[in-house]
Amino acid sequence: MAGDKSEILQGTLDLMVLKTLETMGPLHGYGIARRIEQISEEALQINQGTIYASLVRLMQRGWISGAWGTSDNNRKAKFYSITRAGRKQLHTEARNWERISGVIGRVLGIAERG
Amino acid sequence: MFGWIRLFASRTRAWVSPHQVDREFEHELDNHLAMLTEENLSRGLAPEKAKRAARIRLGGQTQLKETNRELHGLPFLETFLRDIRFALRMLRKNAGFTAVAVLTLALGIGANTAIFSVVYAVLLKPLPFANPDQLFTAFQANTQQGIAETGCSYPNFEEWRAQNHVFSELAGIVAHQLTLTGRGEPSVVNTSVVTPELFTLLDVKPLKGRVFFPQDGKQGAAPVVLVSEDLWRGRFGRDPGIIGTSIDLDKRPFTVIGILPAAFRTPFFNTRQEVWIPLVQDPVFSAFMPQRGVHLLPVLVRLKAAVSVVQAQAEMDAISGRLAAEFPAENSGWTVRLVPLQKEIVGDVRTELLVLLGAVGLVLLIACANIANLLLSRATSRSKEIAVRTTLGAGRVRIIRQLLSETAVLGLLGGIVGIALAYWGVKALSSLLPSSLPQMNPIRVDYFVLGFALLLSAIASVAFGLVPAMFAANADIQNTLREGARSGESRNRRRARSFLAIAEISLAMVLLVTAGLLLRSFARLTSVGPGFDTQHLIKADISLPQFQYSTPQQWAAFSEKFLAGIQSDPGLQDSAVVVPRPIVDPNVSLPFDIVGNPPSSEGASRTASYVSVSPDYFRVMAIPLLAGRVFNQHDVSSAPRVSIISEAMARLYFPNQNPLGKQITFGFPRGSGGATREIIGIVGNVRDVALGQDPGAMMYVPFAQAPLWGANLVVKSTLSTSSVAAAIRQEVQKIDKDLPVTDVRKMPDLIDASVAQPRFRMFLLGLFAVMALVLAATGIFGVISYSVSRRTNEIGIRVALGASRKTILGMILREILIVTLAGLAVGLPSALVASHLVGHMLFNVSANDPATLAGVAFVLAAVAALAGYIPARRAMRVDPMVALRHE
Repeated sequence: MAGDKSEILQGTLDLMVLKTLETMGPLHGYGIARRIEQISEEALQINQGTIYASLVRLMQRGWISGAWGTSDNNRKAKFYSITRAGRKQLHTEARNWERISGVIGRVLGIAERG
Repeated sequence: MFGWIRLFASRTRAWVSPHQVDREFEHELDNHLAMLTEENLSRGLAPEKAKRAARIRLGGQTQLKETNRELHGLPFLETFLRDIRFALRMLRKNAGFTAVAVLTLALGIGANTAIFSVVYAVLLKPLPFANPDQLFTAFQANTQQGIAETGCSYPNFEEWRAQNHVFSELAGIVAHQLTLTGRGEPSVVNTSVVTPELFTLLDVKPLKGRVFFPQDGKQGAAPVVLVSEDLWRGRFGRDPGIIGTSIDLDKRPFTVIGILPAAFRTPFFNTRQEVWIPLVQDPVFSAFMPQRGVHLLPVLVRLKAAVSVVQAQAEMDAISGRLAAEFPAENSGWTVRLVPLQKEIVGDVRTELLVLLGAVGLVLLIACANIANLLLSRATSRSKEIAVRTTLGAGRVRIIRQLLSETAVLGLLGGIVGIALAYWGVKALSSLLPSSLPQMNPIRVDYFVLGFALLLSAIASVAFGLVPAMFAANADIQNTLREGARSGESRNRRRARSFLAIAEISLAMVLLVTAGLLLRSFARLTSVGPGFDTQHLIKADISLPQFQYSTPQQWAAFSEKFLAGIQSDPGLQDSAVVVPRPIVDPNVSLPFDIVGNPPSSEGASRTASYVSVSPDYFRVMAIPLLAGRVFNQHDVSSAPRVSIISEAMARLYFPNQNPLGKQITFGFPRGSGGATREIIGIVGNVRDVALGQDPGAMMYVPFAQAPLWGANLVVKSTLSTSSVAAAIRQEVQKIDKDLPVTDVRKMPDLIDASVAQPRFRMFLLGLFAVMALVLAATGIFGVISYSVSRRTNEIGIRVALGASRKTILGMILREILIVTLAGLAVGLPSALVASHLVGHMLFNVSANDPATLAGVAFVLAAVAALAGYIPARRAMRVDPMVALRHE
C-alpha cells in the first residue's frame, strides 16, 4: 500500500535526521539536507523540502528542539538539535534497524544460495 | 502519554495562531532557498539558473507549506469548524430560507418544550420530598359496597400504626376550610387537618418554630397551629414574634407553634394550604375520631427502606383480615389498597398531559417535514456545487458531513430561539393552567427541560437533515455537470418531496380532527343550559364558625335573620339561601325510600341529590315549577315536612305515576328513621354536578325544616359584585361582626371556570392544530411552487405546442389534488385512532363524528388548493418564449 511505503520512508528519513543531528550537533534545515546527501554520496537525491515534514514530526514528538539563531554567513536561521529523548529514541531505532536489516540480509543471502 | 499531550499542545498552539506558524515556515524556506542558491552560485551557475535549480532542489513550496499546515493542525476539529463557518455563510446568504426554517423549528421546539415543562413538573419530576418513591397512600376499599377508594377510620388508623412492621411512618390527612378571625377582616383559610406524624413522614423542616410533636395529637392537648409562610408574610405582616401568640380558628384560640416554608406542598390538595392543625382539634372531624365505621381519613405511609410494596400490601391484607374478624360490624368487607403517592396525586391528568404532549410532538414532526422539504429543494439548486465538490475529490461522507453541519447549525439556532419561546410560553401557559392540575413541583424551564429542548433540536436536525443530505451526496455528478443547474429533479427526490407533503397533510389532519372534536364538544358543553338563569346571578359564602354555630337550630335561626335583613335591601330583594348550590358546590347525594314501595336492595339503592333551600330559591334561579307548588313562609320546622323533586327524579322513580302527595323517607344514615316528607311540587331539571353531566334526580327541602351548616347565598342583582358584597357584609356584621363573607362572585364566571379543563385542552389543541395547518399549507406551497419553477421549461414547451392555460392549470391542480388526497387517505385512519384516544374527553360528540371529519377534510383540501393556487397561476402565465430562452 502507498501509505505503508511512505511510512517506512518517513521513518527512515526521520532516523537519518536524528542521526545527523546526533553527529553534527545543531544544524539548520539546509545543513541537514546537505549532510544527508553527502553521507549518502549523493545517492539519495531527495527534494530537500521533504525534510521539513520530518523535522515537524520529530519536534512534535519531542525528539529534537528548534531555535532561531544566526548562520555562518550571518543569516537568521532555525537551528535544530537532538534532545535526550531523541538520543534514546535514536538508539532504540538504530538497534531495530540493525536487527531488521540483518534478518532481511540473511533471508536474501539464503535465497541467493538456495 | 506525554508525547500525545505534547503533540496535542503543539497542534493546538499552531491552530490558535496559524499565521505565525506559516510565517516562520516561510522564512525558513526562504533561508533554505538562499543557501541553495549560494551553493549553486559558488558552483558557477548564472544567478537566474542558480535560483531555478535551488527551487527545484527544494521542491514545490506551496505543497510544502500545505503539508506543514496539515502537520500542525487539528484536522477533525478544523474541518468541523470550517464546515460550521461555511454553514453560517450559506445560511447568511440565504437569509429568507434560514429565517423560515429557524422560525418553523423554533415554534415546534418552543411549543414542545413548554408542554414538556408541564409534563416534567407534574408527571416525571419526583415529588419534592425525601425518598419520594417510598411514599404511598393507603386507601380503604369495599367491593361489596362498591366503594373503590375512601379514607380510613381513626380507630383503624391506630390499629394500622400499632400492628404493621412495613411502614416507617403513617399519617392521616384531610382538608377543609375554617374561619380565621382577629387581626384584620375575618377570612376563610384552607386548613389541613393532620395527625402529628405527617411532618416527620415528609421530613418537613419549619421555617420558624417547630412542627407537631406526637403529644399534640393526643386527646386533651392544647390547641396548636402551624401557619404557612404566605399567610405569615401577608396577613401577619412577617410578625417576627408570631410564634407563641394565639389566633382564632372558628372562634377558638390556637397557639401558633411554627411557620411552614412556602415551598412545602401538602400532598393531595391542589389549593395552597394556609394552616395545619392536629386532627384532635378540628371542630368537624374530631367528632368522628372514636367511630370505627366512619371512613374519613386518607392515610399517607412511608415504606421502610428494604420493604417492597408487595410485602407491604400483604401485611395490610393480613391486618385488614384481623380487623374484620375483630370488628365485623364496621370492618367486614373492607380492604386496603396501596397506591404510589405520585400516581395518586397525578390522577387522570396524566392522560390529558400525554395527549397534549403527543399533539405538540406532531407539530414538531410537521415542522421537521417542512424543513426537510425546504432543504430538499435547496439541495436541488445546490446540486451543481455539490457535483463540483465531488469532482474535486470530496467523498460521500465528507459531503454528508458538510450538509449535516449546516442542518446542525439550523437545528441549534432553532433550538435557541425555541427555548426563548418556551420561556415565554411557560409564562403564558401558567396563567391558563386549570386549577385541577396538581402542582407539587413548580412549572418552569429548568436544566432538565433545557436539556430536553437541546436534545430535541439535535434529534430534529438529524431528522430533517439526513435524508436531503443523502440525496444530495448520491447525486449523479456527470449528468448534473453536463446539463448544468437546469437539470430536472431526480425522480426519487421528487417522490421524497411528495411523501413529505403527504405526511404533513396527514399529520395535520390528525391534529385538526382531534382539535375539531374537542371544539365541538366544548361548544356543546357551554351551550348546554344549566337549568337555571345565570344572568345577574351572584353568589356569596358566609361561613359559620363551628364552635359557635353547632346546632341545626342555630343555622336555621341565623339564615332566617340574615335573609330577612338582605331582602330588606331594595337592591338585593331577589336572594335565597341554598346548600349546596348547583355546579359550584360539591353535591350531596343521599339514598332514600318511597313509603309504600318495598325498600330498595343494598346494591341498587335509590339516590338523589339533596338540596336545602329558602322559599324564594326557585324564583331567584328561574327554575320552572312544573306541577304542585313551591315552598313558602309556612313550611317551617313545626309544619308538616315537605319536599320538591326534579323532573328527572319524577321520571326515574315515579314512572307513569303522579308523584304529588307521595311520601318519601330521606334521611341518613339509611334506615335511621329519618323524617318522612310529602312531595308537594315538581320543578325543572338542573345540572347539579357539572355542565358536562346530565341532570340527575334531585330533591329540594325547605331550609327551615332541614338546615345545613353554612349559609350559601345566591342573589339576583343588577348591582356590581363589589356593592353586593359590601351590602351583604353590612347585613352579616349586624348579626355577628366576626363572620367572614367570602367568595362573592358572579355565577356565570364560576360556571365558566368549571369548564376550565376542557377549555384548556381545547385551546391548546386548537392552537397546535392551527400551527399544523399553517405549516402544512406552507409545505404544500413550497412543494408546488418549487415543482412549477423546475418545470417552467416543460410548461413552456407544452404551451408552445398548443396546450391551453386551462390544461396547464389542470396539470398543476392535479398534482395538488393527488398529494392532498393521499394525505387525507393516510390521515383519516390515523385521525380516527387519535380521536378514540380522546374519546372519553368528548361531550355529546362521537369520536367518529362525520361532520368533523368531513369539515376537516374540506378545510385541508381548501387550504391545500389555496396554497397551490399561487404557484399554479404562475405556471399558467408562463410565456413560452421566455421559458424556452430561460435555458
